[in-house]
Amino acid sequence: MNSEKILSLNSLKIGYASGRHEKILLPPLTASAKSGELIAVIGKNGIGKSTLLRTLAGLQSSFGGEILFGGKNIRAFSRLELAQKVGYISTENVKVSNLNVYDLVALGRFPYTDWMGNIDTESHNRITDALEMTGMSEFCYRFVSELSDGERQRAMIARIFAQDTGIMVMDEPMAFLDIGSKYDIISLLHLLSHENAKTIIFSTHDLDMAISQADKIWLILENKLIEGAPEDLMIAGVFDHLFESPTVQFNSDNGTFSFRRKQKKNIYLEGEGPIRHWTDKAVNRVGFSVSDVKTIPYIIAPSEKNSNWQFSYLNSIVEFRSIYDLVSFLGKEY
Amino acid sequence: MKFDINLFGKSYMRPWKQKKVIFLILILLIVCLFLTDLFFGSVSIKASEVIKAIFTNTDSSFSTIILKFRLPKAITALVVGIALSLSGLQMQTVFRNPMAGPDVLGISSGASLGVAFVILGFSSVISPDSLIGLGNWILVASSVAGAGAVMILIMVISSRVKDIMTILILGIMLSFGISAIVTIMQYFSNESMLKAYVIWTMGSLGNLTSGQLNILLISVSAGIILSLISSKMLNALLLGENYAASIGLNVRLSRILIFSCTSILTGSVTAFCGPIGFIGIAVPHISRIVFKTSDHKILIPGTILIGGVVMLASDIISQVPGSESVLPINAVTSLIGIPVVIWVIFRNRKFSGLF
Repeated sequence: MNSEKILSLNSLKIGYASGRHEKILLPPLTASAKSGELIAVIGKNGIGKSTLLRTLAGLQSSFGGEILFGGKNIRAFSRLELAQKVGYISTENVKVSNLNVYDLVALGRFPYTDWMGNIDTESHNRITDALEMTGMSEFCYRFVSELSDGERQRAMIARIFAQDTGIMVMDEPMAFLDIGSKYDIISLLHLLSHENAKTIIFSTHDLDMAISQADKIWLILENKLIEGAPEDLMIAGVFDHLFESPTVQFNSDNGTFSFRRKQKKNIYLEGEGPIRHWTDKAVNRVGFSVSDVKTIPYIIAPSEKNSNWQFSYLNSIVEFRSIYDLVSFLGKEY
Repeated sequence: MKFDINLFGKSYMRPWKQKKVIFLILILLIVCLFLTDLFFGSVSIKASEVIKAIFTNTDSSFSTIILKFRLPKAITALVVGIALSLSGLQMQTVFRNPMAGPDVLGISSGASLGVAFVILGFSSVISPDSLIGLGNWILVASSVAGAGAVMILIMVISSRVKDIMTILILGIMLSFGISAIVTIMQYFSNESMLKAYVIWTMGSLGNLTSGQLNILLISVSAGIILSLISSKMLNALLLGENYAASIGLNVRLSRILIFSCTSILTGSVTAFCGPIGFIGIAVPHISRIVFKTSDHKILIPGTILIGGVVMLASDIISQVPGSESVLPINAVTSLIGIPVVIWVIFRNRKFSGLF
């Protein structure tokens, strides 16, 4: 894989002009991307992720610093040349009826076609490749307005694949998708970056997904941009305070979020396997923390399905047929 | 067209091939309607006489009616239908608004204002009754400028306001504002100017001098050429300006080109035929229904043909075949166009789906 830097941001100032005022959103940003990397851009809502991505795609100008594509400044490219370097997908929903998937993907060939936009054999092959790659071949003559959200996103990705750019910029490509489609899209992105050497820069709120799938994370904080492999950032502990709130905390040892709840009481849990795992979770949810020391009260999780949970407190033992019953009892009675 | 490759059990046919038959039917329809338009009129002329008048150089009164009146009128109908429909198609795509059209967003009003300036304002300099020679060009230029000015205004508004309904309401307000200005101008103008203007507002396909028809033909040809050039840009603009820019379109340049094109088309037609309603908004929708595509390489020629068909048919209907009375063309186009517009509104109730 080519290890050359395909994209670098040097002290880039992003923002927007409102009237005569320039509103700079963030301190100067410095980051880079290599060919074939899948890069997740992470940051709080409204911090400027979309602005950064739009600036990278050349849709709005920067207010200082530089963006280099393979060492060449973005300002040196014409609109048409830039379209052969960077592809862009926004969060904007494409709502055009009578537009079929083939024609949508064919729009990706815009920088390469003649003045009438005629599709030649070369372009046609690229389009069919893109359709096949994204698994959209059978939808080729379906109208975009009739597709599900996930399918539409795949068609949009096919479009920038047909655009044949080294860099693909996507603003929250997995927003509004159901879990299945989310994984569908992320695995497609993975495929595009690792098998087809595309550099993909996408913003997301799904930290879990970003940590497990991205090669690199650009973490945007109020005062700086931190880049690195997700694991490096985890070890450095930079996520800890990012999404913290009075009710939620981030666990940097496993990369998950949990709710802060008042822990009512210690409880001991006996058992093993998945049944123990899920019992532990349920007990936690109603405000008990599972201790390692054997105490009273304690719960004995069944070792096989279809048997009962036992809860022992004071001098009595109560049996429950399901976690639901157990938890209702713990929450209300105990 | 060139290739028809079978992949994944589905054939990727090039669009032209599928639509060829429809195009052929439409061309035949245009020819038939054009001839029909020559055969019918307030004076009933035998079919044999019509043919004789067209193909021989007789000097009968029938041939005068056919060649000096009915033929220019049929040509005007064809050209007006093409021009208004094309400008509606382009506006709907650029504004990404299914309700956009020359008459709806106040563009025609802008053109009327331009015309009012010439007829009511400068007619003390140029004779209002016979706008001959340079006067016609001034009339067109002023009308085109008026249309263009409103178009730019609407563009500025729609870059700030995204909601289609709001833009429509603003367009209607704009129309009211303009007609208020025109009313003031009417109040201060003399009787003959006023009469000339009022007659113009009624809309007519039959009052064009041969000089005016020539100017109309030149302007509309220019508009057709510009719109063919813009078809690739229009396709890119379907996805909105961000995406259009991201695939390499120079948005500002293409906007200038498309706006000039729609202003020329709307302005020149409005200058000579008056504000003709609902063709511009309805025909592009008919064309999308017929061709089931959003590709402007097909929609532009399709809209040209359907625009011609609808306008020729409207003209024939306005003659009320078999009777001697003639209906105002505006009434006919409205009655044809309004059901289509209502259908579009019902189809996407919340204007969520565009086009």
